[in-house]
Amino acid sequence: MSGADVEVIEVSKHYGAVAAVDDVSLRLSPGSLTALLGPSGCGKSTTLSLVAGLHHPDSGDVCVDGGSILAVPAERRPVALVVQKPLLFPHLTVAQNVAFGLRMRRVDRRRRGQLVAEMLDRVQLPDLADRRVGELSGGQEQRVALARALVLKPRVLLLDEPFSQLDAGLRVQMRALVRRLHDESDVTTLFVTHDQGEALDVADTIALMLHGRLVGHDEPEAFYRRPPSLAAARFFGVTNELSGWVRGRSFAHRTGLVLPADLPDGAAVLVVRPESIEVVEHGGTETVAGTVIMARFAGTHIAVEVEIEAGETLDVHVPVGQNIAIGSRVHLRLPRHACTMFEAEARA
Amino acid sequence: MRRAFLGLLLAGLLLPVVPLALWAISGTWRYPDLLPSDVTTRGLHLLVDPRTRVLDGLVTSTVIGAAVASLACLIGFPAGRALGLYRFRGRRVVQFLLLAPVIVPGLAVALGIQVFFVRFGLSDTAVGVILVQLMPTVPYAATVFGAAFANLDVDYEQQARTLGAGPVRILLFVTVPLLRPAIVVAALLTFLISWSEYVLTLLVGGGQVKTLPLLLFASISSSDTTAAAALALLVVGPPLLLLIAAAPFLNGRSSAMVGVGRL
Amino acid sequence: MSFSSSRAASRRLRIIALLTPALLVVGVFFVGGVAQAVAQSFGYQPFLPSSRWSADAYRSLWHDPAVRASFGLTIRVSVLSTLLAAVLGVAGALLIRRFGSRAWVNAIFQANLAVPHLVGALCMVLLLSQSGLLSRLSYAVGLTSGPADFPELTADRFGWGIIAEYVWKETAFIGVIALAALTRGVADLEDAARLLGAGGWQRIRHVTMPALLPSVSAASVLVMAFAAGSYEVPYLLGRPYPATLPVVALQYYQDVDLATRPQAMAVAVVITGLSVVLVAAYLMLTSRLVRRQL
Repeated sequence: MSGADVEVIEVSKHYGAVAAVDDVSLRLSPGSLTALLGPSGCGKSTTLSLVAGLHHPDSGDVCVDGGSILAVPAERRPVALVVQKPLLFPHLTVAQNVAFGLRMRRVDRRRRGQLVAEMLDRVQLPDLADRRVGELSGGQEQRVALARALVLKPRVLLLDEPFSQLDAGLRVQMRALVRRLHDESDVTTLFVTHDQGEALDVADTIALMLHGRLVGHDEPEAFYRRPPSLAAARFFGVTNELSGWVRGRSFAHRTGLVLPADLPDGAAVLVVRPESIEVVEHGGTETVAGTVIMARFAGTHIAVEVEIEAGETLDVHVPVGQNIAIGSRVHLRLPRHACTMFEAEARA
Repeated sequence: MRRAFLGLLLAGLLLPVVPLALWAISGTWRYPDLLPSDVTTRGLHLLVDPRTRVLDGLVTSTVIGAAVASLACLIGFPAGRALGLYRFRGRRVVQFLLLAPVIVPGLAVALGIQVFFVRFGLSDTAVGVILVQLMPTVPYAATVFGAAFANLDVDYEQQARTLGAGPVRILLFVTVPLLRPAIVVAALLTFLISWSEYVLTLLVGGGQVKTLPLLLFASISSSDTTAAAALALLVVGPPLLLLIAAAPFLNGRSSAMVGVGRL
Repeated sequence: MSFSSSRAASRRLRIIALLTPALLVVGVFFVGGVAQAVAQSFGYQPFLPSSRWSADAYRSLWHDPAVRASFGLTIRVSVLSTLLAAVLGVAGALLIRRFGSRAWVNAIFQANLAVPHLVGALCMVLLLSQSGLLSRLSYAVGLTSGPADFPELTADRFGWGIIAEYVWKETAFIGVIALAALTRGVADLEDAARLLGAGGWQRIRHVTMPALLPSVSAASVLVMAFAAGSYEVPYLLGRPYPATLPVVALQYYQDVDLATRPQAMAVAVVITGLSVVLVAAYLMLTSRLVRRQL
């Protein structure tokens, strides 16, 4: 059985006056691996628990393969959930933990043993079947938790920051494991994280949530190149913001920079990534002039900070080798295709 | 349906006290009346009547209880420190040993050592009663303090040392204040165990040391139900009040609960 | 002596010093008491030069049908009370977790816990005797036609009155302990089980019960030992014959005839042995239950 088509339709969930999830609509195509990305408290975990059935949305619908599952209790949904705490049953061994769901389904003992052994192999823990839960390391525990969820062949796999308690090296390994398990079984996977590096590493597509709302759902590259909103851009670490004015489909900044803009007239903000800015010899229409106030070797590039107008600075990543002296005057070219512009009042 | 069962259970936990309270204030209450035919304060007056020696019993119980609580805490405090702060060989054995008086009925033990109490002139005395009541109370005090010390951050004491405090000062100004909730719980627990103790007091006190439980027992065996009920209310009073007062300290401490249940 | 070994030695000394008073109390009173009881049951009479060792006391107990009846009654009462209290206490805790708010429920439990057993015995007499409140209530609704019509619940052969008092108090005790064991962590495990397909009863059987087992079984052990060794309650709520073992022990002890002294001690030793056996059996049973999983 392959992964399911999951659709979250205009779902909202309030806790008191606060909207943890605010009118979120999200579609996961069968077999996809999506990262649900956002800062802490933005509603990602709540969204997951709504899909899993542990909580009910105040409004909206959750559909699997076209049919609503709102009325289906959590224990009967074809959904598996693995969270930060492995939540292994302390009174059972590893094999008994992995077999738990099969036992609930009354699979017979022999078949259970086979499936459990296969699954432990796939998560690379073949020798730990009879160990007690207390003897496992953090990484091992999470692998058992994954095995326990996947042995049931769920059609939807939800992961809520399952590796955030592990140290960095282990986290990278576990991400690779999840990627592999997903590819082998084709289960529709939604992976929650607050770490954009993790999202970029693991997922086919990224769904970005800020303040309970879904801000964008696209391939990682698109978020990078064309952030859907100013808040999204900030989340992805874009630090260069130029406030200007749009008139007649032209963005103008007080330094004289003028770029074509497809926005209505009004105040606007332009964002551009540091690595997209080029240092050029002479000024031009797409350029801005400024003074270098800081240059720092950063391994793969030189991080340069240029002051272009009293108070406003731009971060530029310059290829190693180019000679940039502090205090020198430079021209910075902002290629149109690398710049994204937003209306100034646009919220996340 | 399940709610009803829960309600029934909770009501059942309190219901049996109702006839007690009613009897305490009743004048005549004959079968099959559901309520007393007249209400008097005779029972309550009997409590303060010097002829019934109830007030003496109250004093005796309180004094013995306070003494037992103090001694048990004094003994249990260092034991708890050893158990909670240090890992040492034989720790399990010691814990088990300290728990034994809790599990094994005190009756057997009291019968056994009674002979020695007689020999050393301690039988029929309040001192003897206090000493024998240490047996069920010290384990509880040690357990409560053991748990408290296990949660204590020793760094506080180290810090005090670097600030120039000697061991006595550290004890008085750092350790004891930090352990105040545990001290309250242990003192309360041991006081209540002593307050409710009957058999040990009977055996060692020889019926001469008249604590409230002894008077109550005699009263129950008599035919004056009103007097017995009134006295029972007096016996129940302090435990209820003390537990209410210490409720914030007790919540969530299972070791304390274990002790309370023993009442 | 090297510095570290002298530190180790002083550490050990300190531990011993800290433990000494408590161990002294337990050692002298408890261990000494039990040893004395055992010795005296074999005829040893301290401070008397002419004491003979013999197992006569035990022999006469073994042949005494009254003692056998007491043994049976004691076991029956303690086992039944513990089982009932455990079931009701756990059920109550589960229901409270589901329906009740903790604050005033805790108050009810603690109020019950505060009542000494002696007072509880009186309450049960007033409630359950043939002229007690329950009997009067049943008369009022027409179920019975007189005091004798109401079943004998106090001073009865089976020991129902005694069981009632123990169940009344110990349900609250086990309930409080079970409630404390139903932590947020247990709720998380139940959620995880839900997502693995476990329905309501399955969750209780496979997750909640195992989580409760350690503390509830410890509490039950305490209850059983207490019930076996308690005196006030069986004296006030039971018959003089057959009486539970503690009551019998005191009967023998208070007998003017000093020859019954060893028999009193023997009964006391039997009580001690019984509580140890009950505890051991219970522990074995529960550890077997735990290992039976898969």
